[in-house]
Amino acid sequence: MTYKRRKYHKGDTHLKKGWRTKRRTKDLDEINEDIKDEYAPALLNQEVDLDKPGAAQHYCLHCARYFIDNKALLDHFTTKVHKRRLKALELEPYTIEDSERAAGKGNYVLPRKRKIETQPGKDADKIEVDDDDVDAAPATKITRTEDNTLA
Amino acid sequence: MRIENCYFCSSRIYPGHGIQFVRNDSKIFKFCRSKCHAAFKKKKNPRKVKWTKAYRKTVGKELSVDPAFEFEKRRNVPLKYDRELWTKSVDAMKKIELIRQKRQNAHIMQRLRKGRELEQDRDVKEVQRDLSLIRSPAAGLKERKKLEESVEEDEKMEDSDSEEMEAEEVVL
Repeated sequence: MTYKRRKYHKGDTHLKKGWRTKRRTKDLDEINEDIKDEYAPALLNQEVDLDKPGAAQHYCLHCARYFIDNKALLDHFTTKVHKRRLKALELEPYTIEDSERAAGKGNYVLPRKRKIETQPGKDADKIEVDDDDVDAAPATKITRTEDNTLA
Repeated sequence: MRIENCYFCSSRIYPGHGIQFVRNDSKIFKFCRSKCHAAFKKKKNPRKVKWTKAYRKTVGKELSVDPAFEFEKRRNVPLKYDRELWTKSVDAMKKIELIRQKRQNAHIMQRLRKGRELEQDRDVKEVQRDLSLIRSPAAGLKERKKLEESVEEDEKMEDSDSEEMEAEEVVL
């Protein structure tokens, strides 16, 4: 008769859970592709997808994350996580081609540094005006100034 | 059959070894052993991990840019078998490998030479600082004092002479 082996030892499952492929987030070299002008607009203006947070309307390109509303997205832009990600993307990420060049197939060229800026806030004003009442008018102004400083 | 390269440490992967990971954008990551695979899962940057080829080349420990690296490449073009071409290319591969190794070794020696220079500078500085251990500062002190005294006496004599001379001039 077969029976379930009793597990006495939990081990490092809490670590391995993070490595599961179903929990994988985008790698830096994937994001490096996303940033490019050919792909960025499609990601920033996605169709309504009710399975994603915020119906996939508030997406941070650099962190590859969805946010529930524009405020959450703007708040995220000021966080340490986001800034750290921008910093990490400054150097061109390591790719498979790099690994081959390091192995002696071609010259190993050093990665270049570039300036990475947060995506410009998208038509935030319209949404807020639609949602909020007259009282919220000053709040929209504040968000507008924030947009300017970030962009 | 191909000898692939590890994504993380860039070492060679022979058939039957290592593990592959296919990302959902159909990129294939090959790893030579579980050490490299685990490091990848932890999202380590190979450029910052000291035991990888990528680190050694970014930091300049090994030769990174050289025309000798341009020969070995992944060419996804099938070639019709030609014995002459085959023998020629095998000969060329051997020659290129020799030249490459020579240049890589020369680069490392060149790098180490810098350390030798620094070492010499450091030695010179140390000797200058601790010169008192080699030669006592008191050595020959008596003789030097004697010399100084004699010099002073001479000066005094000269001074008195000049005074006399001036006096004479005044008289004239």
